Amino acid sequence: MGLALEKDDPVAALVDRLSRDGTDGGWAAEARSAALSRLAGMGLPGRRDEYWKFTNPAPLTAAAAADVAAMPDETADVFAEATPLRLVFVDGRFDADASDALALDGLEIETLATAQAADIHWARDVYGVLEAAGQSPVERPLAALNSAVARDGIVIRATGQVTRPVQFHHRHTAASADCAVHHVIRVEEGAALTVLETGAAAARFNKVMEVEVADTGRFNHVRIQGRDRERLAATHLFARLEAESAFKSFTLTVNGALTRNECVIELTGDDATAHVAGACIGEGDFHHDDTVFITHDAVNCESRQVFKKVLKSGATGVFQGKILVQPDAQKTDGYQISQGLLLDDDSQFLAKPELEIYADDVVCSHGSTCGAVDETSLFYLTSRGISKEDATDMLVLAFVDEAIQEIEDDALADVIRAQLAGWLDRRRG
Amino acid sequence: MTAMEKLQVKDGVDQETVDAVRSVGERYKYGFETEIEMEYAPKGLNEDIVRLISEKNGEPDWMTEWRLGAYRRWTQMQEPEWAMVHYPKIDFQDQYYYAQPASMAKEKPKSLDEVDPELLATYEKLGIPLKEQMILAGVEGAGDAAAEGRKVAVDAVFDSVSVGTTFKEELAKAGVIFCSISEAVREHPELVKKYLGTVVPVSDNFYATLNSAVFSDGSFVYVPPGVRCPMELSTYFRINAENTGQFERTLIIADKGSYVSYLEGCTAPMRDTNQLHAAVVELVALEDAEIKYSTVQNWYPGDENGKGGIYNFVTKRADCRGDRSKVMWTQVETGSAVTWKYPSCILRGEESQGEFYSIAIANNMQQADTGTKMVHLGKNTRSRIVSKGISAGKAQNTYRGLVSMHPKAKNSRNYTQCDSLLIGDKCGAHTVPYIECKNNSSRVEHEATTSKVDDDQLFYCRQRGMDEEEAVALVVNGFCKDVLQALPMEFAMEAQKLVAISLEGSVG
Amino acid sequence: MLEIKNLNVSLEEEEKQILKGVDLTVEAGKVHAIMGPNGSGKSTLSYVLAGRDGYEVTDGSATLDGTDLLDLEPEERAAEGLFLAFQYPVEIPGVGNMTFLRTAVNAQRKARGEEELNAAEFLKLVRAKAASLKIDADMLKRPVNVGFSGGEKKRNEILQMAMLEPKMCILDETDSGLDVDAMKLVAEGVNALRDEGRAFLVITHYQRLLDHIKPDVVHIMADGRIVKTGGPELALEVEENGYGDILAAVA
Repeated sequence: MGLALEKDDPVAALVDRLSRDGTDGGWAAEARSAALSRLAGMGLPGRRDEYWKFTNPAPLTAAAAADVAAMPDETADVFAEATPLRLVFVDGRFDADASDALALDGLEIETLATAQAADIHWARDVYGVLEAAGQSPVERPLAALNSAVARDGIVIRATGQVTRPVQFHHRHTAASADCAVHHVIRVEEGAALTVLETGAAAARFNKVMEVEVADTGRFNHVRIQGRDRERLAATHLFARLEAESAFKSFTLTVNGALTRNECVIELTGDDATAHVAGACIGEGDFHHDDTVFITHDAVNCESRQVFKKVLKSGATGVFQGKILVQPDAQKTDGYQISQGLLLDDDSQFLAKPELEIYADDVVCSHGSTCGAVDETSLFYLTSRGISKEDATDMLVLAFVDEAIQEIEDDALADVIRAQLAGWLDRRRG
Repeated sequence: MTAMEKLQVKDGVDQETVDAVRSVGERYKYGFETEIEMEYAPKGLNEDIVRLISEKNGEPDWMTEWRLGAYRRWTQMQEPEWAMVHYPKIDFQDQYYYAQPASMAKEKPKSLDEVDPELLATYEKLGIPLKEQMILAGVEGAGDAAAEGRKVAVDAVFDSVSVGTTFKEELAKAGVIFCSISEAVREHPELVKKYLGTVVPVSDNFYATLNSAVFSDGSFVYVPPGVRCPMELSTYFRINAENTGQFERTLIIADKGSYVSYLEGCTAPMRDTNQLHAAVVELVALEDAEIKYSTVQNWYPGDENGKGGIYNFVTKRADCRGDRSKVMWTQVETGSAVTWKYPSCILRGEESQGEFYSIAIANNMQQADTGTKMVHLGKNTRSRIVSKGISAGKAQNTYRGLVSMHPKAKNSRNYTQCDSLLIGDKCGAHTVPYIECKNNSSRVEHEATTSKVDDDQLFYCRQRGMDEEEAVALVVNGFCKDVLQALPMEFAMEAQKLVAISLEGSVG
Repeated sequence: MLEIKNLNVSLEEEEKQILKGVDLTVEAGKVHAIMGPNGSGKSTLSYVLAGRDGYEVTDGSATLDGTDLLDLEPEERAAEGLFLAFQYPVEIPGVGNMTFLRTAVNAQRKARGEEELNAAEFLKLVRAKAASLKIDADMLKRPVNVGFSGGEKKRNEILQMAMLEPKMCILDETDSGLDVDAMKLVAEGVNALRDEGRAFLVITHYQRLLDHIKPDVVHIMADGRIVKTGGPELALEVEENGYGDILAAVA
């Protein structure tokens, strides 16, 4: 690698652990070395960093991760009705045999390894580029780490209205799996693409997805993060949205010991829209952190952030969300809501919903609430003969539904609802 | 009161607003300087200066040691950088830490008659609330004359020194102690020892620690059990001397079942250089006690190019120590080049309540980073935050707040409403709330909005004949109504005027 | 009194011409009505005369007693005696109705070099005028138009008109959202203000308001122009046959 790091440097230790052999074309070698310099310049995040105030990054930055016994693979087929092109990763490595053929009308699709081996590739304008842009004004070292080491992932260029979704399914088999995966997506002018993500992936999973949407392009993303209780995950979704484009991302998380999902979006073209939503349900040793940073750089754009967290038995839910409106981003419509529902007294909800606004002709608002299940609603339901457990589940589903409604495709939204209801059912045995 | 004035009040006509709107166009009217011979301690800060300040105040050894302890901690500390304010590095050795009118240096005046008339003239010019300038000016029988209206006892602090406190005798009859903090250290050491530094610890933060080392004066209030303080108490702070930091310290103790309302006003002359103000205010509310603390902060904000102005780094905190105690902070922040201020409540007692009402206006090159912390520790505690931020010119205005529900603060409530208004496209409005909810019987609600001043409202006002500045002042006063209503009447009037004056030049 | 010549106006933000050469003269003491289908430019005319942002006058002139209105700020036009009763009166939270009225009255008096009203005089005056419009003390205390019903808002507009005593009153769709009783009340308020020195321009879609406020002259506006002018009978014609016939005849 281009940069000499001290042997006992924790950055070097992590890079060492996650690096794998592979062939780099000129552009990939450059991108990797630039990412490594970024990382070396920033260092790893620590507990004292303001951006990690509510989440201890230590398990994500430690030189090694503890083994996590894999759970049965249960989400591979949840989206079957949408007939996705399914691409399977096993412990963070692309498994061609388990995957559908890399071909779909309306898009160019290949593995990251293939793209990186090429000397010239369009992905050089996206890979590590959106990530690098997203390092300011707040540093995200775990994403730079990913760009520096990742060799697995999918590279997609959508050129038309792609009707079948593409599904990245992550299977976790080896207890010690500790990996980095990096997807690169460009939606060309007037094109449309839906990406689905499922599965637990690994004991410790570092994932980056970079998405560039050209004028009038549309990108939809629906993700179900796997249920392995002990799993650690740090994911980053970087997006750059050009004029009149539309972006929607939704994530459902159930379980996992520590999950940090960062979403960094820049609206660079006029009249673009970005919606990011998340619902999580966790209990016990569960720490879930949604960190969202949306920058309005252009005129008449709209952004929405909708996050719901249901917490029980000592679980912690974190939301850090920001709407940054740059000086010339007039007529911005920004909205943000974060809500915690605490099912018992041991759990906690921590939030920092921020507005930073430098343009005057804007309408921006945010709300944040935290509390218990509404007693009156609970009483009303139980008075009609519904058990307290069922009534609570009904209210939990109703509570998170505002986030689920952000999913563009109603059929996909129903899949999420069914999945969630099933998990709630099973939890009670 | 004349019959006509009575009529107005009865019918709720907002004479104040009308007057306020009319006064748009006035410049910063407190920007004059008073020519008074001052005695300074040498520039810079070291242990000798700390000892000198302590000696000048005639303090006992324990107090001197307390200060020195703070000074030593301070030398180990770093200036905080997390606020959204930017200013050139302050050279803390290039400041005077003690200045007092020379007339008061020789011997403390026995009565107000001995106070330098220039000094009293200054307070007169400042329009010190209501009739008190007469009393401060030592007019015989002025106390009786003022007694007909609503009474306000005033402690006036000029640069570092308290120049006089009014209504002391009447307050003493009720058992209320209202004096300068230096006098309290001498006369009521047991109270000062018991409470000083218990709400804002010596090493709380950089500026508070600096204040602990060098505070020169400020006000002290003690309201005994069961006493409802018979009048509003007020301190008027004035920075006059050049290159002089002002470090006042206020300590208010409301004993069981007592009530006190305290007002604080601040002004400073116009100068090209920046001046430092780092105050500490500690409030202690015991069982069933209630404290209302209102501030109209109008330190010199600097000129429209950002030259000069006060750096205002203030630590204000209330400890609702007793059950059912209540503290209400109300602030109108229109002045200062840089404001860094978070009046907070520690809701320790069960069923205790904290309220924070704030108007922060930043125009031209001003920067304000202000808000509150509501820390819920006791059961059934309540807090309410209403913040109205207005940004104009090239100013940056940030609301920064914390609401924390601790695991033991069962069944508590918080409601926060935080609105920002932008006037012009060169300014910024920011909202940085921290919400920490650690039990499920409590409820936290936070709402915030940011928008520009409404064009339709302005056009409507102008169609009815108001000019643009009048229209803006009217609409902004409407935007601030919830907070203005929380102020005592005397301050509400002054505050409405200030809103209009502060926005001067923000339109067109 | 009001003289509009060849007024051409387009929207500032998009290149769309709304008024295409309006000619209109309103004499002192007269009531003129402008009727026309939706989108004919009636409300635009009232906004342009009052000086609202967002419109660009590309040609023509508008004067009030010889003073060029188009160069003036909105408040200067108000001080000249131009009053617009808004179709949708604006809500101003936190600002008391009385405060608003008094500020407006005194701003105009000041602009005209007249002495400002003191609190007692003002109060007496506003109470008397409010009573005749059935506006109670509570409505006067509430924030401007906030939580007012449609009828209350329109009555409030007429109260402002009565207090400000303008010479040229423009009523923009004042009947919209009013039931018969409320309309009567508003019309009575307007009629009480009719006088030799004052002129009215009543903009309305329907004839019914004109049953209560009898116009001297009726204009029909269509596609940004005045296409027909006549007496009160013209309004009745619209009532009976709609705009279709008239527009067809003109075209």
